[in-house]
Amino acid sequence: MNYDVVVVGSGPAGSVTARFAAEAGAKVLIVERRAEVGVPVLCGEGISQKVDNFKILEGKRWIATKMEGARIFSPNGTKITLSTEFAGSETGYVVYRDIFDQELARGAVKKGAEIMLNTCMVDLLKKDEKIKGVKVQHFDEKLEIEADVVVGADGVESRVGKWAGIQTTLKPHDLETCVQYTLTNIEWDSLYCDFFLGKHVAPGGYVWVFPKGKDVANVGIGILASLSKSGKAAQLLDKFIATRPELKKGEPIRVITGADPVAEPIQSVKDNLLLVGDAARQVDPITGGGLMSSIEAGKYAGETIGKAVEKQSFDYQTLCEYETLWKKAFGKKLHRNYVAKEIMLDMEDKTLDMLADSLKNYKFEEFSTLSIIKALVTKHPSLLVKLTPLMRLARA
Amino acid sequence: MAKPKAFVRKEKCLACGGCISVCPQDAILMVTSKALVNKKYCNSCSICAKTCPIGAIEWEEK
Repeated sequence: MNYDVVVVGSGPAGSVTARFAAEAGAKVLIVERRAEVGVPVLCGEGISQKVDNFKILEGKRWIATKMEGARIFSPNGTKITLSTEFAGSETGYVVYRDIFDQELARGAVKKGAEIMLNTCMVDLLKKDEKIKGVKVQHFDEKLEIEADVVVGADGVESRVGKWAGIQTTLKPHDLETCVQYTLTNIEWDSLYCDFFLGKHVAPGGYVWVFPKGKDVANVGIGILASLSKSGKAAQLLDKFIATRPELKKGEPIRVITGADPVAEPIQSVKDNLLLVGDAARQVDPITGGGLMSSIEAGKYAGETIGKAVEKQSFDYQTLCEYETLWKKAFGKKLHRNYVAKEIMLDMEDKTLDMLADSLKNYKFEEFSTLSIIKALVTKHPSLLVKLTPLMRLARA
Repeated sequence: MAKPKAFVRKEKCLACGGCISVCPQDAILMVTSKALVNKKYCNSCSICAKTCPIGAIEWEEK
């Protein structure tokens, strides 16, 4: 078997890469370890409405709810409300990720990509130290697939990068470990995505409630793995639900676990191999959201590969354009938010409460750094000192 | 005495891959949608067990 490009993984990063590469004329194969694209879902299922700009999804079947904004609850319950424009990049829609992923895969296929399910990558295919494709196990059959370019879109636990010599092992400090129930029969009639902070609620992370319909919601938790113990995420989530009458009477129709890299991005191009999405740590370290950046990076990867195929040039110089493009688009933001994550991890619950108290009546429509600072200083002058590192960062 | 090795309770594992992403020994693999520890490489550091959100990783009795 011979292709221009083999994409490992059929999540959003893989399917969008495949779509744009195929559209540019490349012969593309997606290999997927699982027996069904998008299943099991491993996600909180929130995404920005910016996804509409990419015009890669047809219809509305993948949308569960269109959100009106987000609410952040500080440790003592003080609420900050953000309208959609300022709610960060992850709260435009709550989606059905299985349908969402399958629609993205369908889009790739319509542009000419092929998909092999039940196909587990075993190793890179190399000749004279050069990457020549992939070795896979397809059902019970061992196959070698030749390709000019290999794309690792194999998620948080990426092995493709490792095989190519890229250091992908995450420090526990850079991973959110997650559990989520989809609860049904709850009393949660809201069009806001809710985030709950606090050392006792979710150390180094947050609890979220993302409504998926009138009485259904994803209720999940992410905690920093370095602050975790065996099974702690699930215990804390159960505790959270038990203390909320409106959630307590709900029953789960789905339980999932997840692992979310909140790390600095890593090298994403090595010779003729690319990493995209969670595999490249293209995740916002503050929100843990990675859908939008995976899709945007996938577009750049696919277009870069398309050009490489056209020129029949598969060296680092040609493919490196992908890294240049995504770093230019959102690399700086990821880095800045990584530093901000570090600063916020050091904040006491009391500081978060003061912050929330200062901002609870703040009209985020008139969002500007100066007006936020004014709001903070008026209410709690001592915050100014605590927030100096963050402000330095905002200016940089 | 050799240290006990990590092992994954297959009945509990929900295949999120968190343990694989943090294992400094690259000793864990996903096999048919369950994590599996390769005992040969496990150095008993317990990072995987602490990371598992639902406590599916335990210590193997010798």
